[in-house]
Amino acid sequence: CQKSLLYPTPTTQISDISAFDTPERIFGQVYGLYGQLKDGNFFGERYQIYNEVRGEEFINLKGNAFTALQTWNFSVNSNAQEVENLWSSAYKTINATNVFLDGMTAKGNTIVDAATADNYTGEAKFIRGLSFYSLLQLYARPYWDNPTTNPGLVIYLEGNKNPASYQKARSTVADSYKQALSDLDSAENLLPESYEDNSKGQNTTRATKGAAIAIKTRVYLSMGNYDQVIAEANKIVSPAAPFQSSAGLALVANIKDAFASINTTENIFSLPFTSADVDAPGTQNSFAEYFLPSSLGGKAEYSLNASGIVAEATWGASDARRDFVTISGGSPYLIKFSTPSPYTDWAPIIRYSEVLLNLAEALVRKNNTVNAQAVALLSAVRHRSDPSVTYTTASFASATALLDAILLERRIEFLGEGLRGPDITRQGIAFPAKGAASSTAPTSPNYIWPMSADELNQNKLAVPN
Amino acid sequence: QNNRTVTGKIIDETGVPLAGVTVAIPGTRTGTVTNATGLFSLNIPEGTKAVKVSFIGYESQTVSLTDASDITIKIKPDNKSLSEVVVVGYGTQKRVEITGSIGTVKGTAIAQQPVQSFDGALGGRVAGVQITVPNGVVNNPPVFRIRGTNSISLSSYPLIVIDGVVSFTGDIGSTAAPTNPLAGINPNDIESIDIAKDAAATSIYGSRGANGVVFVTTKKGKQGKAKVTYSGWVGEAQAQRLPKLLNAQQYVDNKNLGIAHAAADGKNLGTSFAINEDKNGNPINTNWLDVVYRKAVSHSHAISISGANDKTTYYMSAGFTDQQGILRRNEFVRKNILFNIDQKVGSILTIGGKISYANEKNLSANSSGSLEGEAFNSGGLARLAFLTGPNVSPYLNDGSYNVDGGVIGTMGNVGVQSGIYNPQVILDLDRSNSINNHIQSSIYAQLRPFSWVTLRTQYGIDQNHIDNELYENPISGDASPTAEAINATGIYNRWVWDNTIQFDKSFGKHSFSLLGGTEEEKSTKELFGIDRTGQNDPLFNNVEGGWQTTNPISSPVNTYNYLVSEFGRLNYNYAEKYFISANLRRDGNSNLGKNAKYGNFYGLSAGWTVSNENFWSHSSLGKTLNDLKLKASYGKVGNASISDFKSFSFYGSKLYNGDPTLYYSQAGNDYLTWETSKQLNIGLSFGLFDSRLHGEFNWYRNNVDGLILFVPMPPSAGVPTTIPKNIGSMYNTGEEIALGATIINHKNFTWNSDFNISFNRNKITNLYDGATQIISQTSGLESVSVQKVGDPIGMIFVTRTAGVDPANGKRIFVAADGQKFEFSLYGGGDGLANKWMTTDGKTTTRSVSGADAVAYKKTNPTFFGGWDNTFRYKSFELGILATFQAGNYVYYGTNAGLKDQRYWNNSTDVLHAWNTPNQKTDVPRVVYGDNISNGSSFPLDVNVFKGDFIKLRSVTLAYYLPGNVLTSTHLSSVKLYVSSNNLGIWTKYPGPDPEVSSNGNNPGLQGIDRNTLANGRTLTFGLNVGF
Repeated sequence: CQKSLLYPTPTTQISDISAFDTPERIFGQVYGLYGQLKDGNFFGERYQIYNEVRGEEFINLKGNAFTALQTWNFSVNSNAQEVENLWSSAYKTINATNVFLDGMTAKGNTIVDAATADNYTGEAKFIRGLSFYSLLQLYARPYWDNPTTNPGLVIYLEGNKNPASYQKARSTVADSYKQALSDLDSAENLLPESYEDNSKGQNTTRATKGAAIAIKTRVYLSMGNYDQVIAEANKIVSPAAPFQSSAGLALVANIKDAFASINTTENIFSLPFTSADVDAPGTQNSFAEYFLPSSLGGKAEYSLNASGIVAEATWGASDARRDFVTISGGSPYLIKFSTPSPYTDWAPIIRYSEVLLNLAEALVRKNNTVNAQAVALLSAVRHRSDPSVTYTTASFASATALLDAILLERRIEFLGEGLRGPDITRQGIAFPAKGAASSTAPTSPNYIWPMSADELNQNKLAVPN
Repeated sequence: QNNRTVTGKIIDETGVPLAGVTVAIPGTRTGTVTNATGLFSLNIPEGTKAVKVSFIGYESQTVSLTDASDITIKIKPDNKSLSEVVVVGYGTQKRVEITGSIGTVKGTAIAQQPVQSFDGALGGRVAGVQITVPNGVVNNPPVFRIRGTNSISLSSYPLIVIDGVVSFTGDIGSTAAPTNPLAGINPNDIESIDIAKDAAATSIYGSRGANGVVFVTTKKGKQGKAKVTYSGWVGEAQAQRLPKLLNAQQYVDNKNLGIAHAAADGKNLGTSFAINEDKNGNPINTNWLDVVYRKAVSHSHAISISGANDKTTYYMSAGFTDQQGILRRNEFVRKNILFNIDQKVGSILTIGGKISYANEKNLSANSSGSLEGEAFNSGGLARLAFLTGPNVSPYLNDGSYNVDGGVIGTMGNVGVQSGIYNPQVILDLDRSNSINNHIQSSIYAQLRPFSWVTLRTQYGIDQNHIDNELYENPISGDASPTAEAINATGIYNRWVWDNTIQFDKSFGKHSFSLLGGTEEEKSTKELFGIDRTGQNDPLFNNVEGGWQTTNPISSPVNTYNYLVSEFGRLNYNYAEKYFISANLRRDGNSNLGKNAKYGNFYGLSAGWTVSNENFWSHSSLGKTLNDLKLKASYGKVGNASISDFKSFSFYGSKLYNGDPTLYYSQAGNDYLTWETSKQLNIGLSFGLFDSRLHGEFNWYRNNVDGLILFVPMPPSAGVPTTIPKNIGSMYNTGEEIALGATIINHKNFTWNSDFNISFNRNKITNLYDGATQIISQTSGLESVSVQKVGDPIGMIFVTRTAGVDPANGKRIFVAADGQKFEFSLYGGGDGLANKWMTTDGKTTTRSVSGADAVAYKKTNPTFFGGWDNTFRYKSFELGILATFQAGNYVYYGTNAGLKDQRYWNNSTDVLHAWNTPNQKTDVPRVVYGDNISNGSSFPLDVNVFKGDFIKLRSVTLAYYLPGNVLTSTHLSSVKLYVSSNNLGIWTKYPGPDPEVSSNGNNPGLQGIDRNTLANGRTLTFGLNVGF
């Protein structure tokens, strides 16, 4: 008899037994981790959309629970599809990185050379750290609120592959942040400055040392650890203008280039989409589908809030970023992401301008003065889009005025990119009212999302928010 | 002494002449045997009053002689014959030696049934075997259960072994026309079907025995000259017990009444329904049932040539059948040919084989809405038949289809739909066909170097090459407006190679039979094809034509499983009084976890033929109770029918930035193993009055452990899929009684009767940690079944109601906590929908929903059975098979639709809807748009009904042409008959048929009738001729 037939080698899927057998398969898995990260329920692109519509800049037009209505009006329950799906998608990504890291230890490190193995390990840790941090923004109380007692994430660092009950308590917020930072520190050490082959924008679509550092400035800012924001940012921001990193990260001259061609020095890390079925964002997942008016091929799920940032008087008409707003049927819409179905705009995860503004904010908050470098950083961002404006320290009467200007700049600069929700919660301010949705105070239980009902049902050690 | 010559002919009960039959004068040595044409000639002394006719396998018969010198004697098979053998897996055994529980159905019982495959005709014939014909779609596999349902996630279909080769089962097509591979055998070619029910009988099939094993043996040639037969029938079928629907006027009145009620409740809908006129100015009144259903015509023909001499045995048959379904365009057409031959080579070697080819066409326009997963199909034809408004017609007055934007046009209705798709368009234009080219073939060599040693090797194949071919029109239906054509090839191939050695030896009164063997089996499945949309021209309705897009089909398949086994069996008996049998099998199965590939299975049984003891046979009781046998068995068998590769961990492949990726896509279980079933059976069989009354009683208990469940895990574990795990348990226990009697045995009139009844109780005893119930959905939409610890599998899961409030006509719902609430669609007067109130009329924020559902009633019958009667009067024979079951409930979900107050047409029940205060009725006040009060939105107890029934499953009246007429026509036998299936049904179930399944064979989802096609009543006329 043919005993080997008892241990089949399927021809349409690759068995876990042989997944680490060749350098090509291991490389395929690295790309697979990015593929998980850009799952429609996570960074491709619902995570950013949810965080965006929690803020005050968008108005829900369709009243559809499947396109974030309840997140927009702060009525999500623990069994809301977004609450359950994002939690589960993010953890599939995290577990995939764990399974990959285990496989590298068990076999992969002997198949590829040491430098490549380090690079891949760094990429996996970057993805895991980014995932942990991002989950904290929705499912955990902000860092300023008792981080050593409030519940954070369920943390697994080993791959889960077997049938088991997987009962595990949530770590604290502080410990969860610590884990995210540990992953990003490790990634920084292991990742290259850039990739030899940048023919398809690998420097943007794969994690780099700069990307790990950039994400860390975001993480530390959320934690209110301004010293560390400054320390991290200084690794990739030159002391004086023109601000740039040794690896060439810098603002592009025209912000539209950062969305048109995507693979620029400004796009530190982005997730790509193509029109192929399994590489496109899928239905009801993409920025353009939600935000584009139907005249431009979107589904017009959300218009911009006419009394939101678009009404800001200090946002000049000649600002290039005003071109990201169009009026359709009397309402303003965001057209930053402008490719119609299958909506193949790349999803920016972090841009160089965020690092500059993170650094600027940290400098102001740390010193509580009208910090000259902070002004220069802010000015670089504003001046790039509106050449009529150049800030000097004289432009700001106080540190508070400068801080307000930086925070305002963030709303303009990152409109639609998913930073607004975390920017509100880290400051501990209320979510403003908009349209039919009322204001949500930091003390409200709805200030963050509830814990996934699936998690509470299956993991008896998990506690609700 | 004067002698005279009596000549005559011996025929079997179907009129076929029998060669080699002994005809003798009782008490003398004078006798003869019939020749190849069944004729004999015997010199008898004057005064001889009778002759005795005897033949192996037939009942001996003493026939009184008259003055006639030419007589025809009919003899019938002897079910009690000592020589009767039963197929037991890798061999046969004498029935008297059987210690397991095995039921037998003779091929003659099902040969002329108007079914597509034999399994559909087994209902009511064997105790413990429950067959549910799920609906009237042709070639749909029946729900087939032996001793209850023995799994939750895996198949509960028994293992089907055809001439030693395990067959594929289920629906192996990928279209709306079901494709039961068992239809590859012409029922006319079946010699016998032996159904093994307990572990003693099934353990020789080890890991596949838990659901019982059905051995199908096809016909072989018999000694004598070549025999040629023709059998054919023609018949018609019609749907029965269809719901009574509103006519156009009633429909328009009722819908407008609902609109008026909505307005009275403060909601002006701005819609209305109207009577429309046809081109002659007459009001349109379409009976959509007539559009979708038809009087179906079927016919079937088979010829066979067979014979044998002492060296060669052969049988060849060819058949053609064309059976229309009662659903228009649904049809089954089979052309088949079967040939088998056995040749003795020298004195110790026999070589033989068979080849069976069938071209099985399963045709349908599109979904009937009756197969598993189809219940809520928008284009389900059975549903469109009762849902579509009768005030609109299939055609507009200019003769074109009545279609508006892909759905049926509304004609004069304002602001409302009139239905979903136009079924006439689907029936005219669509195609959903699967054509199976099916080869079942085997070859064997058998060596008997000594009389007590038999070596045998057999290699068999079961190859199904299925062309799934679909077209959906651009005018009305799921693919409108682009149209779609799919062509997918399904390949289900299997090879089986087994080798056995058997020793049969007796020492004095000790008889031994020892079997050892090995078996290998590999089954592969493939499905691939293309899917085209964007029809360039209406002419292009196949994938080869001109289309705009070409994609691969959405779920291609390429899998296999492999089984390798060793097995053995020891049978021992002492003086045919004490019997012991032991079976052992070790299986290795590729589908199981890598640490759990092998399993051992066994069956032990013992029997005591009390009646063969001297003390018994010499006692006075022994004279009456002439046959008494006690038996008991215990064993362990398995069920490993999990889908291929489910135990493995996999990486799938997608793209990232256009480059290939691998991602962790399936989590496996290295320890996944079979579900095990430990089965105990205790039984006795008896014969009274020289076995004129005989019977069998069995009690059994099957404990099933390690039920495979797909256990949900916390999302934080990040495991990509639920993992199958051996974790649940349940049991089936029951009693079976089978009785047979020759009630009247008169020369010209006989009445034989067989009755069986089976009781079964099922209980789930464990699911997985922390789970007391698993809710199961019909077609992924309606949560109407529940698997609950402490209850039988497949409980109906519905929300309770408490009638209709006579004061206001509102349905009273019962919440999970027992509180009652009334529902009104627009009762608040504020124009907003879905208002809930307490029974004393106060508005409340509480509502009742599917979340308040309870495990309401069981779907397994308490008992079921059959009663088969054969009456013979001279040349006439009347067969009546009635089947019955009781104690089960059926969820008549269709009824929710039949009272749905959206645009759907309704049954005439809504004519007694509540309309005036203090009116007592079970139908709530109609409010247009209300889909909650009658159970469309979430399932309600009001649509659960008892499923008890008695059915006239099969009634056949036959006439055998007498011998003297035959002689002049040079025919050896002629039988004419008229037969009906489902002639009558007695049930209180309001739907078409309580024997129904919207979820096919799915174990946990039985007893659901949701938008299902009715069953048909058939009437056939048949002719069998032997040349």
